Amino acid sequence: MTELWAVVLVLISGVYGGLAPIYLKRGVESFQIKKFRTYFNLLKGFFIYVTGALIFIFALKGGELSVLYPLVAFSYVWTCLYSKLMLKEQMNKYKWLGILLVVFGVMLISLGTV
Amino acid sequence: MKKSGALIFVLISTLFISLAQVLFKLGSETLQFNFSLLINKFILGGFLLYGLGAVLIIISLRGQNLTFIYPVITTSYIWVSLLSVYVFHESMHFYKIWGILLIIFGIILIGLGDKNNIRKPKLVSEKEVNHD
Repeated sequence: MTELWAVVLVLISGVYGGLAPIYLKRGVESFQIKKFRTYFNLLKGFFIYVTGALIFIFALKGGELSVLYPLVAFSYVWTCLYSKLMLKEQMNKYKWLGILLVVFGVMLISLGTV
Repeated sequence: MKKSGALIFVLISTLFISLAQVLFKLGSETLQFNFSLLINKFILGGFLLYGLGAVLIIISLRGQNLTFIYPVITTSYIWVSLLSVYVFHESMHFYKIWGILLIIFGIILIGLGDKNNIRKPKLVSEKEVNHD
């Protein structure tokens, strides 16, 4: 039986973990090898990745993998939303539809795996 | 980097990531939770490939839209599905076949819809650096 708190926690880890690639992107765009300051965004990105994964692993205690694993796919939607808001990237209906297809595809593969 | 170059980088990176997961699985089959975890050649190889994959993705992000590069990483799910059939003789569930097709169509749509607006993310990131 999967507990509601575990589902909520996995969704939260997606909302949070979706931020990680935003900082990796910022980090790599402003990267200069001799300036320590420019490593900061990359480190922030890695930190969010790792802590997000830890939240997910903790959530696994409260439910079945077959329910919780496919929910991870939602983080791709969040990342695109953050890219639009924080990096001012342009989205359009083709890209949104593509994201939806990718998310459903990842969910189906996850469902077929576990 | 050109868009096509970045795409090739990400695809190679997804192959690395998928092979890393296969190595983890191979390693986990003989795994004991003691010191041997740290010297298991499959697990170490897996981490190495994961690291290489991450570096390739980060390099390919430079000058490309995150909303283009990031969804392409999901091709690693396709490689893992195919590899697990050949390496571990796992069955090909029809959910997986539909999932693979949806991912391929999704990535093609994103690729066609993506216009490279290289300047805007740069301006934002420079602002961010000044704030720090």
